[in-house]
Amino acid sequence: MSSLHIITIALSYIAFFVASVAAVLYIIQDRFLKSKRAVMALSRLPNLLFLDRLNYRAIGLGFPMLTLSIISGFIWAEHTRGAYWSYNPREIYSFALWLVYALILHVRLSAKLRGRKVAQLSLFAFCMIIFTLFGSCR
Amino acid sequence: MDLMVVGINHKTAPVEIREKFSFREKQIADANRMLKETTRLKENLVLSTCNRVEIYAVGERDKDHFSGIGNFLSHFHNLNVSDYKDNLYVYKNKEAIEHLFKVASGLDSMVIGEAEILGQVKKAYHGARDSATTGKVLNRLFEKAFNTAKKIRTETFVTRGAVSVSSVAVRLAKKILGALNDKKALIIGTGKVGEQLVLYLKKEGIESILVTNRTFEKAQDLAARFAAAAVPFEDFRNRLTETDIIITSTGAPHCIIRKDEIIALMPKRRQRPLFIIDLAVPRDVEAQVNKIDNVYLYDIDDLQRTVEETYTLRKNELDNCFRIIDDSSERFIQWLASEKIRDEN
Repeated sequence: MSSLHIITIALSYIAFFVASVAAVLYIIQDRFLKSKRAVMALSRLPNLLFLDRLNYRAIGLGFPMLTLSIISGFIWAEHTRGAYWSYNPREIYSFALWLVYALILHVRLSAKLRGRKVAQLSLFAFCMIIFTLFGSCR
Repeated sequence: MDLMVVGINHKTAPVEIREKFSFREKQIADANRMLKETTRLKENLVLSTCNRVEIYAVGERDKDHFSGIGNFLSHFHNLNVSDYKDNLYVYKNKEAIEHLFKVASGLDSMVIGEAEILGQVKKAYHGARDSATTGKVLNRLFEKAFNTAKKIRTETFVTRGAVSVSSVAVRLAKKILGALNDKKALIIGTGKVGEQLVLYLKKEGIESILVTNRTFEKAQDLAARFAAAAVPFEDFRNRLTETDIIITSTGAPHCIIRKDEIIALMPKRRQRPLFIIDLAVPRDVEAQVNKIDNVYLYDIDDLQRTVEETYTLRKNELDNCFRIIDDSSERFIQWLASEKIRDEN
């Protein structure tokens, strides 16, 4: 159970990293296009459609991994500590992260938001991951 | 032996004069053969495009070959070459080599860096080779010119970027929407630039084009020419949900597309990106529309400015190009010198 937990965490973080790279490029390209710096926009950055889809699909892969890792974490915690949930900061943080990615997938799937705002949200979520990592390294 | 070029181009003569010198495609083979028969040239090649007519020739050293070529031109085109002395240029050896390299790589073209000329030079070369009027020197010179042009294309920025309003617009469309083969365009109003843009979009394989105009007959007329569909003007707003590219070029004195309208439209489009190209003066689309997420509005000035910036970028690259040309021509001259020695021995 512990190895499933670690592998799924690693896979979800890799997927979220890819999503956030796509998000950064999207935000840059969007800004070039909006501010009419067309020469820059026409240079080597990929097109918006590609970046938006990459972001969305990477999150679409990362989210089930994150879900699996949280579930396996519950089970592992029950084995080692006898309780599924013990309100420690890491658990709360992981759950918050799960909620944020669930929200991103929801707004994107329901087409309430697309493009720049989704990219900003996924960047925000990735910052949360970095904080969780730092938090757990201490 | 001497290598030379006699020519006339868009820099030295207006089209009224250039057209007098130009050769039709069917005449080229005859011209090449005639030139070889009537002069004492060892090798010759005629290049004729809408912007230039040039004759590349190889003849014995320090002989007057210009009068032979001049007589040929006078005779062939039924004119008096001495009337056009100011329009014609003659380059010899090093200068002629460098000139051809510039021409082939598009540096001597009206639009710097354009690629069409390379194809035209290749065609002229193959024509002359087939007529057996080229030989060792011109064959090698032209192969070298094609290599140099290729090098300039891959190693400098001079041929990159878009150089017309239409090509800028189409390339922007691809940066916003990705591939255009499943996208739909709506043309509001009928104008010249708009028409050119439609041609470009068709070339990119756009899925469908709708045309609308206040005068429905005009819309139908344009639609017929581009295999598009015409929509009555009162109806076009109902088609915006499925449209990915809107091109406006009406003569309306006020805006026909407003911010509020597009804000209301976007949820219906499920926020799919929308690219609006406003070619009209006065503008057809409220400038504020560009502030809406997933909507990109470019007016004619934005596009024009991009064309100019690209052009400046290309000019800055010229130094790099000339360095490549110097290098190539230097090597060709060395080869030519060694050939000369061999000939003279």
